[in-house]
Amino acid sequence: MIASHQIETRLREAAEGLLRDKKVGLFLGYEKASLPFRTAPLFLTEAEKAKRLVWSPFCTANLAVYLPRLFKAPADAREAKTMPPPPAVGVVLKGCDARSVITLIQERQVPREKLVLVGVACPGMVDARKAERALGDQEALGAGEDAQGNVRAVVEDGTEVTLRREQVLADVCLECRSPTPSIHDILLGAPAEARETDAARRRTADLGSETADRRWARLQQALSKCIRCNACRQACPMCYCKDCLLDQTRPRWVGAGTDISDVTMYHLVRAFHMAGRCTECGACARACPMGIDARLLVRKLNLEVEDLFGYRPGAALDGVPLLSAFAMDDPQEFLTEP
Amino acid sequence: MSQTQTVQESASPGAWEPKVVAFLCNWCSYAGADLAGVSRIQYPPNVRIIRVPCSGRINPAFLLRALQNGADAVLVSGCHPGDCHYISGNLAARRKFALLKDLLQYAGIESERVQFTWVSASEGGRFAAIVEKVVEQVRKLGPNRKLVKSL
Repeated sequence: MIASHQIETRLREAAEGLLRDKKVGLFLGYEKASLPFRTAPLFLTEAEKAKRLVWSPFCTANLAVYLPRLFKAPADAREAKTMPPPPAVGVVLKGCDARSVITLIQERQVPREKLVLVGVACPGMVDARKAERALGDQEALGAGEDAQGNVRAVVEDGTEVTLRREQVLADVCLECRSPTPSIHDILLGAPAEARETDAARRRTADLGSETADRRWARLQQALSKCIRCNACRQACPMCYCKDCLLDQTRPRWVGAGTDISDVTMYHLVRAFHMAGRCTECGACARACPMGIDARLLVRKLNLEVEDLFGYRPGAALDGVPLLSAFAMDDPQEFLTEP
Repeated sequence: MSQTQTVQESASPGAWEPKVVAFLCNWCSYAGADLAGVSRIQYPPNVRIIRVPCSGRINPAFLLRALQNGADAVLVSGCHPGDCHYISGNLAARRKFALLKDLLQYAGIESERVQFTWVSASEGGRFAAIVEKVVEQVRKLGPNRKLVKSL
């Protein structure tokens, strides 16, 4: 494993070079945040400031979420004339973020030629909430990692606590099967082979084996915490629609309140819009202020997509989005026959 | 509304009758349902038909809204693969519906409440048989209480 600080140095050099040589006008990365176990997104436009960039096991955010809005099409002809052309953008990508970028390119939301992709072979990211839970009632003041990739936190009384890596890795990272970006212009770190894990399958299996009523009850219980803040939608790099179905009022497809029926509708609609598109970055689950596992439905849907169609969103750039295509021999065992 | 009342009145007063909302494509299934009527084929009156241009026109939100508004089941029917008036609308729909059915089943909505099929314009008998089957299944399940919004 290549230490994070080595990657960090190379990342800073790469960003500095790209900005200095005017290969990109904007570089998206991470910087130190004010809270332990977290980083903040950084929008760099000046080469001199590249040393603000950081790379650590806390670089969880999926930066692909900012790309569609950077390359937004002009609203009308006048705007098209006056709007300056978007700059080329450099962006730091982990395996999951690269899948998001691939899907965005396939869906023609971002132009490949305007992107400089700095891929980092991802060792897995820390779930800040898991780390905080692991510390119990002690509050962390600072955090870092040791040579083995375990997380070290300094707590209130000044002592140092080591949290085992497996204990604090995010769920998506435990389920991740391709941690190394499959698309990149620059690759940092030692690329890891795609690995097989059935973690996602195991997580969906326990709910899948229940009766319909029990499944429904479990779902209702999980979603009853939802306050309809739409954070999961906003955080998702795949949710870029200008006019979201959930915001429409004529007709209003999904009621606005926290009535459990409306909440369930919201989550069903959101999940279904991810069908064949979710790149499993976990941004939705991280964004949820209520701690709902926002991937509950999508996780299963992605497995169905793979089982039925052999499709993995964002796996390869040459490919048509699942629901934009069809085949005469698509499975149709689900049909009702007399 | 008047249709709803007729159905309820035809059963013993107050007894629950399944309500099935059927989305039929204009070119095949709607004509198939029409043929069933013209041919005087008997089928349960529990189905409310909504005509759509093509099964590919159906937004899954239509089905979810129907369930939320008190339908006990939804039935979607389009042209057989290869017969679509718009060449491939039903094929694009087939992928969507396969996933939608799986998603709803996983969420805990019984799979009998969301049904998909193909009926051609000449299959009046098939349409009647499918409606009969769907209504029978839903009758066994009982009223839909999941997802229904009660104020």
